[in-house]
Order: sequence, then structure tokens, then C-alpha cells
Amino acid sequence: MNAAVSIGILAAFLVLAVALGLYSARGRDRKALTEWSVGGRSFGTLFVWVLMAGETYTSFSFLGAAGWSYDKGVPIFYLVAYLAIGFAVGYVVGPLLWTYAHRNGLHNISDIVAHRFASPALGAGIAVLATVFLLPYIQVQITGMGVVVAEVSYGAIGLGLAYFLAFLITEAFLVVSGLRGSAWVSVLKDLLVVVLMVVIFVIVPLHFFDGYGQMFATITEHRAQWLTLPGHGDTGLGIGWFVSTSVLNGVVIAIFPTTVAGSLAAANPQVVRRNAIFMPFYQILLFIPILLGFAASLAVPGLGNSDLSLFRMAAEVLPSWLLGLLGVAGTLSAIVPMAVFMLVIGTMWARSILGAHPRTANRQRPLAQLVAFLAGAIALLLTYIWPNALVRLSVVSYEGLAQLLPAVLLALLWRRMSATATVSGLTVGVVFTCVLVFTGNDPVAGINAGLLGLAANLLVVLAVTAIRPANTPPELLAQPESVTLKQ
Amino acid sequence: MFRGRASLWWLLGPAVLYLGALPFVNRIHPLVLGMPFLMFWMLVSTVATPLFIWLAARGDPVWRANRKQRQ
Repeated sequence: MNAAVSIGILAAFLVLAVALGLYSARGRDRKALTEWSVGGRSFGTLFVWVLMAGETYTSFSFLGAAGWSYDKGVPIFYLVAYLAIGFAVGYVVGPLLWTYAHRNGLHNISDIVAHRFASPALGAGIAVLATVFLLPYIQVQITGMGVVVAEVSYGAIGLGLAYFLAFLITEAFLVVSGLRGSAWVSVLKDLLVVVLMVVIFVIVPLHFFDGYGQMFATITEHRAQWLTLPGHGDTGLGIGWFVSTSVLNGVVIAIFPTTVAGSLAAANPQVVRRNAIFMPFYQILLFIPILLGFAASLAVPGLGNSDLSLFRMAAEVLPSWLLGLLGVAGTLSAIVPMAVFMLVIGTMWARSILGAHPRTANRQRPLAQLVAFLAGAIALLLTYIWPNALVRLSVVSYEGLAQLLPAVLLALLWRRMSATATVSGLTVGVVFTCVLVFTGNDPVAGINAGLLGLAANLLVVLAVTAIRPANTPPELLAQPESVTLKQ
Repeated sequence: MFRGRASLWWLLGPAVLYLGALPFVNRIHPLVLGMPFLMFWMLVSTVATPLFIWLAARGDPVWRANRKQRQ
């Protein structure tokens, strides 16, 4: 009976989400890639905010954050710290990328690099590399949504079926509506997430601890080890790790392909700047799952999968209809980012690989839609037949994408940087980072391995540039924004 | 990119609060409103972040020149 209620609510809202996503494409251009990939570069402040919130605060941010604080404790605050730093960096970098892409008709990082170096081959390489590192994120969302659906249905819907549903629902609107569809679904997602987080934050402490004072007192007394860095257990997540990871991730998020898609969707660079001011407010919401993760380690101790801690606690107190709504919020938190991950992979392949040839250039939109579909299908298949492959890859994803920083950002500002220098640095950075991570050396002496990889990457770029500097024509570089103003 | 935009120094604010202060705030006591101190500090930093970015924007000539641009 309970399962029927929560499944019914879940099904109804998911149908609503798909309908919203599809409806958003009504009356829009059906041929141009720009409309699909970056919403026709037309979004205002509110829409960019909602979209960015949708893709930044994923099912990991809520379930995973509670899971981290359940297992390890305060190291999870790196998530809040690096996002905050990322918004500050984004105030400068977002408008810079927007202006460069707008001026040159570009859609994401792979064609930005191809344009800067006048090298389609380099753009294609970036697209492939980024795809390899982004696929694990799709899988994380598929499994994240699977777990939520299985929990909310009280086990009536198995994981295998739930994974397939995650794939199906996301593709259903994404292939048709692209980034605009993702933004519309995100409106529903953010409304539900805000309301439900507040509801849980009110109900859970009262039920398990007789109120906040008692909850904090119990946590402080019994979970002291969790409450200062490096947290609980043999984590190696001390201050050095916290600082290096937050700095690295904070800068990288500014050039992360999904962030770039969101920024380029803005109608003008001022929208991107305004978003950098308003986005950080969303972060306050993250304190709820983090805090409740601590509470869960006392209320429902000994869970095998700590990512379930928030749900298990909620399941004990919430009526089935409210649990169903919580399931909707969790599910949509997986669907929106999953959609945008698929979208950026499709966009990069269409722009820099399949549609790079003049003969296929007029078919970039269907090609992007096809690749977005395939990217999801591959991630789904790997989830079924070889689940550990992507899980292992995901460990290196962020640190691998970090190696793109010189190619995407530094190159736009530095006239002397050549394609050779970029490729050399990128290769060294990626190999070095992968070796460190896969030999179990992350963090190295308390420092994030990706940051060391980036340091090696930059050193190689500097060295090669010193030996053979390029002389890039100024029109291929980013224009200073003070110059943009005078136009 | 940064020429004539001195107010952008404010953008370092979040990093200073979240990271620079860590050696001094990595502690449980004193409890503030019942919250362990590090958690309270993270909350303060989070609330202060939009303020820092707004301060950076307020003094930024590029922001001022485009302020009328709505949407």
C-alpha cells in the first residue's frame, strides 16, 4: 500500500517532468544546434541560475554529502568551499568564455580550443578526452537515481529496472529539447528540493533527538572525531588535502563543460556575472544533508551504503506520500545533471568530430542528438555489464578534466602558447595524474594529485613555450573586457 | 583582463575564509548556537561568499558599464 502511494507520486511527477521538458521546445528553432546546445544564447538571470543550480547540485550533492558526513565527517565541506571559490572565479572566467564563444560562434570547450589553435585535430582530441572523463558522471547519476527509486518504492522496483528508467526519462526530453528542456525540468527540481530539504530539516531532529539543541549536543559528545579535519577514520583528508582540492576544483569548475554550457546559454555576459553573485545562496541548502548525515550516524548507525543515510532516516518519519515527493526531488537531482552531461558530450562530438567536416557541418544538431543518446546508452550498458570500470574511472575524472585548464583558459590569454606546448603539457598532466591516482597515491603527502598533475602540465607548457613560442593572431585570443565595452 | 579592475581582489575573499582561516577554525569549541565551531565557520563563509562577489562587482568598471543590461 505504502509502495503504491510513493510509486504513484513518483510516476506522476516524472511524467510531468518529461512533459515540461518536451513542452519547452515548443515554438523554438528545430534546426540550429545553438538552440539545442546553449539554449539559443538567450537565458536571463533567473533561468541561468535555475539551470546552474540544477546541474551543480546533483543527487551526489545531497545523498553523497550526507554519506560523506556519515562516514568521514567535516571533510565534506570541501564541496561547499570549492563551489564558493568556483563562483568567485566564474565572475571573471564566465563572461570571458561567453564573449569569446559568442564572438566566434562556439558551443563548448572543444571548439573553443579548436578555434584558438586553428586546429580541428586538437579540438577533436579534447572532445574525446573530455568524453572519457565525463562518462563516469552519467553513470554516477544513473546509479544514484536507481538507488533513490528502489528506496522510495520500498524495494518494489529493482535496481536494474530503475537504471533503465533513469536513462529513458532523461533521454526522452533531452534529445528533443536540449539545454532549454533541462532548465525547465530544473525549475521543478529546485522547487521540490528547497521545500523538501526544509521539511526534513524540521521533522528529523524533532523525531530522533527532541530538537536541535539535543541533536547538536549528542553529535558533539559522540561524534567529536567527525567534527574537525581530517575527520573520522584513516582518510588522509587533512587541511592540506582540503585546501589543495578546493583550490583545484574551484578553478576547474569554471571551465567544466557543463558549467560552460550554462554560461554560454546566458543572453549577455552581465547575466553570467549576476549569476556568480546569486548562485552561492543555494549553498546554504547543502548544510542540511551534511548536518543530517552526522545525525544519521547516530540515528541509523551501521549502514552498508552510507549514501542511503538520509533516505533511511526520512523513511522512518515521513508518510509515504512525502517520501514519494522526496524520491521525486532525488530523482530529478539525478536527471537534470545527467541530461546536461549527455548534452555536452553530444555538443562536443557534433562540433569537433562528426560535424567538423564541411560536408557534415549542416547536420550538427542531429549528430549532437544522436551522440547524446549514445553516450547515455553506453553509460547504461557499462552500468549493467561492467559497473566497476566507470567507478574506477570516476576517481580520476575531475583531476583529469583539470588538465584542460591551460588549453581552455590560459591559451585564450597567452599569445605565445602554441598547440605543441598545449598537447605536451596536457599529455604529461593526464598521464602523471592517472599514474598517481591508480597507484593509490592520491592524495600525495596530503596534496591533491590533480593539482600536482596540473603543476607538471603547466611546467611543460612553460618550457615548450620558452623554447618555441607561437605568435597567435590577436583575433584568436580573448579580448580584454574593458575593450569589449568600448564597442 | 584585470587592468583597472582593482575591486576584483574581493574575489579572493571566499578562499581566505574557507581555506586561509582553516588552521585557526579547525576546532569544535566554542560551540556557537550549539554548532561545532568549524561548522559554524563554514556557514559564516557560505553566507559571506555572495557578499564578497557583490563587493567585487560593485567596484568593477565592467559591471558598472553593463549594469543597465537587464534580463
